[in-house]
Amino acid sequence: MQSYVHVILAGLSSGMFIWLVASGLTLIFGVLGVLNFAHGSFYMLGAYCSFTVLKYLGAGFWTGLVLGPLAVCAAGFVVERFFLRHVYRIALPYQLLLTFAFVLIFDNLVKIVWGGGALSPPSLSFLGGSVPILGRNFPVYNLFIIAVGPAVALLLWAMLEKTWYGRIIRASSSDREMAASLGVRVPALFTGVFVFGTWLGALGGGLAVPYVGLLTPGMGETIIIEAFIVAVIGGLGSLKGAFVGALVIGVITAFGTRFFPAFDMFLTFILMGGVLLWRPQGIFGTAR
Amino acid sequence: MKKRGMNRRDFLKLTGAGSLAAAAAGGLGGGLLTPKWVWGATPKVKGPIKIGYQTVLSGTLAGYGEFHKMGLLMALDEINAKGGIAGQKVEVEIRDSTLKPDDAIKNARYFVDSWGADFLGGIDSSGQALALAPVMAQLDRVLMVTHAATEKLTEDFVYRKGVRQIFRNCMPTYNDGNAAAFIAKDFPAVKWSTVSPKYEYGFTCWKMFQETLTRLKPGVSFVAESWAPFGTTDFRSHINTIMDAKPDGLYSTEWAGELISFLKQAKEAGLFDKVKYVMLPVGAAMDVLEGMGKDMPDNLWISGRYYFQYPNDKTNNEWVARFHKRWGHYPAYVSETAYSCVYAIKEAVEKAGSKDTKAVIAALEGMGMNSPAGHRVFRKEDHQAIYDVPWGKTKSDPKYPFKVMGGMKVIPAREYFNRPPFEGPGTMPPFK
Repeated sequence: MQSYVHVILAGLSSGMFIWLVASGLTLIFGVLGVLNFAHGSFYMLGAYCSFTVLKYLGAGFWTGLVLGPLAVCAAGFVVERFFLRHVYRIALPYQLLLTFAFVLIFDNLVKIVWGGGALSPPSLSFLGGSVPILGRNFPVYNLFIIAVGPAVALLLWAMLEKTWYGRIIRASSSDREMAASLGVRVPALFTGVFVFGTWLGALGGGLAVPYVGLLTPGMGETIIIEAFIVAVIGGLGSLKGAFVGALVIGVITAFGTRFFPAFDMFLTFILMGGVLLWRPQGIFGTAR
Repeated sequence: MKKRGMNRRDFLKLTGAGSLAAAAAGGLGGGLLTPKWVWGATPKVKGPIKIGYQTVLSGTLAGYGEFHKMGLLMALDEINAKGGIAGQKVEVEIRDSTLKPDDAIKNARYFVDSWGADFLGGIDSSGQALALAPVMAQLDRVLMVTHAATEKLTEDFVYRKGVRQIFRNCMPTYNDGNAAAFIAKDFPAVKWSTVSPKYEYGFTCWKMFQETLTRLKPGVSFVAESWAPFGTTDFRSHINTIMDAKPDGLYSTEWAGELISFLKQAKEAGLFDKVKYVMLPVGAAMDVLEGMGKDMPDNLWISGRYYFQYPNDKTNNEWVARFHKRWGHYPAYVSETAYSCVYAIKEAVEKAGSKDTKAVIAALEGMGMNSPAGHRVFRKEDHQAIYDVPWGKTKSDPKYPFKVMGGMKVIPAREYFNRPPFEGPGTMPPFK
């Protein structure tokens, strides 16, 4: 019992963590139609910026978590406004190439600014430590991550479904020209959505600082693959799909590692292959 | 933020025409300048001496490449300031190994075929080393491996298959597997477990540890193993596996950033309260000690391929001081092996009076040399350098902002290195 509960908890926390990264990726794909490989870089920059605020400006973890991702939003703005905007109309491979170029640029930028070595944040005072669950310690911070995931999902849902801006975003994503002819400033709106997606990725990075306990250049490349798998399983562009996909992948991976260690590396890919055979558009995706 | 390090441009500048002046200006010349004309009079060795070095410069382990570079650059400056190797200037080019086996081969081919390397050095991953090994016979240059540790490189390729071009100056897995068992046999722990990397290095070390410990202490059992794929950031399921098995001891060859993540997460989960005997064969790496800082739990057994406080002698202490003064870091083990790699090439070329591969191989075989890590001898049969490294327990020291190694135990390498012919009785420790 104890071991099952802890496997599920571990799965939930890692799933929610992937969701935080996958949410921005999915939002940007759903609205802008761009598969942003550089999203992992925003995650990395979010981690480095939060860490810098935390460590060098002597501020607390929360200040870092607020200021770090905001700083990364500026990078997101530049990427969309001056580069990505020009490739919306041309073929998908060019978008992929451009965003991949940013992955390399940001990785090297991090190496120049923060050095190539791993940075390791000090342990948290608040939310640090652990609580016993069924006689075994579970880190408080992971419980916090398990709570943050659904909170972000709720925020996104409310924003997209319940607000005027949400309606405009949905309208523009389903028909750009119609929205534009009705007076919506689609380019500005897209910049806004991209920057918001960037913020989500960077927030994931900021939250990763205590979760992973380590910052390395290239840290975004591992997580972007997981986030991408999650997005594909859930249905590219579907936030609900990404949320469910992240939960499923998180829990299955945790079970796999614990109980079927020989297959743990393949389980996610088997699952992805199975879903794609059954529903090529993903669980909650719509055929495009 | 002040960054201590170097970039490619600094590096090229130093290896270029201005290197002697630059190095001398750096104050590294010392008083023992070898007069150039001694070698110039007998120009048997044609210069420059070119060393093609590959290490990881990108991705999550890029920090290792930086530490390689620091050691290399120090050796290069010192040697060039004192007249080079056999009177000839040394040039080094560094390429990113990316840790991928095919890139290791591509780099090596580039170095030899296009750049004209006389020697090759570096290689971080065991997988890369094994992929490159068969190619080395064809490229016919001496390759000094400075980080990859799998014993299969020297046992299978050098000894059995006769790829004589390969040498290794870093500790092989004998320390991670065999020496760890020598340390562990004295603990009351009988039930052992592991969380280790899910690739060649992790598998071979755990196997060696189990076999040697069983020979040293019959009755031990191995109750859990959990293999973490390369790039794991979340070790919580692996920690669950270990805690479910309730072992007395944990052995882990996790290394670099992944070891830091693992230790932090294990500490949060209370693993070290439950499991009292923890062995980390590469836990004494500087990136891990500095990265963990004060969060490193006490009383974990750690070792490494070199540890900056051992040996406590003049050569090592002075080197560590010079290193720290120049780079603001204590030397990582790869800094020492990279540094000693250039000196091994220097001593072998000068001993052979030639830079031809055959002559240098003959000179290196059985050659002894002094280095910061102590006295090294390249074993003739398998080209593995034999030298001693310490094991010890993590403890605080007010002089350092990180935990250091306390209660050092040194098992002489000759007592636990596998011996040729590497199969059959009497080739694996303990030796009578």
